[in-house]
Amino acid sequence: MKMTQVAVIGAGPAGLAAAIEVARAGGLVTVIDENARPGGQLFKQIHKFFGSREHRAGVRGFHIGEQLLAETERLGVEVLLDSPVYALFPDRTVGYVHGGREIFLKAEKIVIAAGAAENPLAFPGSTLPGVMGAGAAQTMINVHRVLPGKKVLMIGSGNVGLIVAYQLMQAGADVAALIEAATQIGGYGVHAAKIRRAGVPIHLSHTVKRALGKDHVESVEIVALDSHWQPVAGSEKILGVDTVCVAVGLTPLTELAWLMGCEFAFVPGLGGHVPKHDLNMETTVPGVFIAGDISGVEEASTAMEEGRLAGTACAEALGLLDGQKALELKTVIRERMNALRTGPFGEGRRRAKECLIGLSLEGQA
Amino acid sequence: MAENRETIYICRCEEVTREEIEQAIRDGATTIAGVKKRTHAGMGLCQGRTCRKLIANMLACSRDPANILPSTFRPPVRTVRIDEIAQGDEE
Amino acid sequence: MKSGIKYTGIPSEEELRASPGAPSRERLEQGPVAFIECVQDIPCNPCEEACPFGAITVGEPITNLPELHGDKCTGCGVCIAQCPGLAIFKVHLHYTETTSLVEFPYEYYPLPRKGDRVPCGDRQGKYVADGRVVSVKNAKAHDGTAVVGVEVPKACYLEVRTICRKEWSRHG
Repeated sequence: MKMTQVAVIGAGPAGLAAAIEVARAGGLVTVIDENARPGGQLFKQIHKFFGSREHRAGVRGFHIGEQLLAETERLGVEVLLDSPVYALFPDRTVGYVHGGREIFLKAEKIVIAAGAAENPLAFPGSTLPGVMGAGAAQTMINVHRVLPGKKVLMIGSGNVGLIVAYQLMQAGADVAALIEAATQIGGYGVHAAKIRRAGVPIHLSHTVKRALGKDHVESVEIVALDSHWQPVAGSEKILGVDTVCVAVGLTPLTELAWLMGCEFAFVPGLGGHVPKHDLNMETTVPGVFIAGDISGVEEASTAMEEGRLAGTACAEALGLLDGQKALELKTVIRERMNALRTGPFGEGRRRAKECLIGLSLEGQA
Repeated sequence: MAENRETIYICRCEEVTREEIEQAIRDGATTIAGVKKRTHAGMGLCQGRTCRKLIANMLACSRDPANILPSTFRPPVRTVRIDEIAQGDEE
Repeated sequence: MKSGIKYTGIPSEEELRASPGAPSRERLEQGPVAFIECVQDIPCNPCEEACPFGAITVGEPITNLPELHGDKCTGCGVCIAQCPGLAIFKVHLHYTETTSLVEFPYEYYPLPRKGDRVPCGDRQGKYVADGRVVSVKNAKAHDGTAVVGVEVPKACYLEVRTICRKEWSRHG
């Protein structure tokens, strides 16, 4: 059995940031990821990030990914790829598969940074080839350089839907329209403005009725919704598209936290059931930390800060950092994180997070 | 069931339709596990990753979503081949 | 249909008028100036650091809207490519007797070339007028965000914000 001080599951922005903090404090850390490349979703983020200089604002996501990787390499962090973690055991043993066989890794602390999965949408024709998650389309164009189709309908006006619609056009596809069931645009106005300038109509209070086609999507029928979210008869419209991208939110990937017996709380604003965690990102199971989308769906910038927080807390718990030094580091990280959770878009997430942390502290008292 | 243009698949791995899930709920299923036992939804290759959320949404029409928990997770929680984990850790 | 960025994806006239990032009419009369179309309190401030003249301030908290100080803005346009939201433009109202110059960020291929005649569009991508490309800036520091300057009839300086890509590729 292999041994390490800290096992980090997931080499996305949260996991890499956590590993960097542990390694910087002199700890032995092993990052395990099921993908062939580290970086999680960062390498398909070709747009410039928001925030301030400390959040690397203005830098494109994939460049941030490259910086994180360079840092993990410099610090000598072990990153195991092509290694899906399929089990966690109560004694903090991680079971993963690599090269066709299972390997066990015993850790003193575990950081679960497994991320989130795209929410599905079921409608007649939703199993036709050509209907896909917006994140999948983004992977195709920005990682594999393959256009999923020539003409696209985007469903969902959150930042994912808006950004992927824009990037599909940059990749050479035509976006016929973006539809949104709610009565207002969910994501940032500046992202919406980019696709409007490119001539893409945004239909609010609209949903998809069915996708049509024999062997793949050939067209899609959309319909308006009334104030009770019911389809308005006669408002149907057929759009000739070969691709339908679904961007209707994300759900935290919590299987491993359930396996460890972490207590959960239901916080709709964070994507549903999420593991309770304290201000150090530690769950109700001592020695098990979480960071990033698994602790509530946000964005890469906050995921990295949560990772740094979890990594610093692990290092402190292992005695690699004294309490005073750890507190200083964590205070700076929390300030940066809180700055991202302000304004009309961030407020809700900040409140949801406070509620989650409050719930887990209650349990301890 | 007859396939037509209106058929909605909730669990695509096991080809379970929306109607079949609705029937399971009418038959008394109140949890994701209850739906799974009646219809096989969530027992396919992806182990419910896609349909879990959809079924939770359907159950939420009559129950508080806070009480709709995923069915119990057991290893393996990832798609792995049985021979991979049957061999054991040789290190 | 309700107007405003939350409903249309386009900042409304009222939103722009109330925004501290839009230059005054008087300032527009005086020469080239940045035109910041950022009307939502999002946590973001690279524009503040981008301006070498201190003409854009965000301050604390970083969700403040960027404020344009027209007296300090030289109309250099350095801020345009630094805005992650592609929400900063430059307007030179009296470029010539009859034309204005509008600069906007542009992240599509192919890039236009200096001298090209291009169909110019408004905030919803609708054709407004033909324009002549007078500059295409794509320095390394832009990191892929080109800044295109087009000379357009004076009447449409407040409208033109992009190139109509589809029409351009059809007729280009």
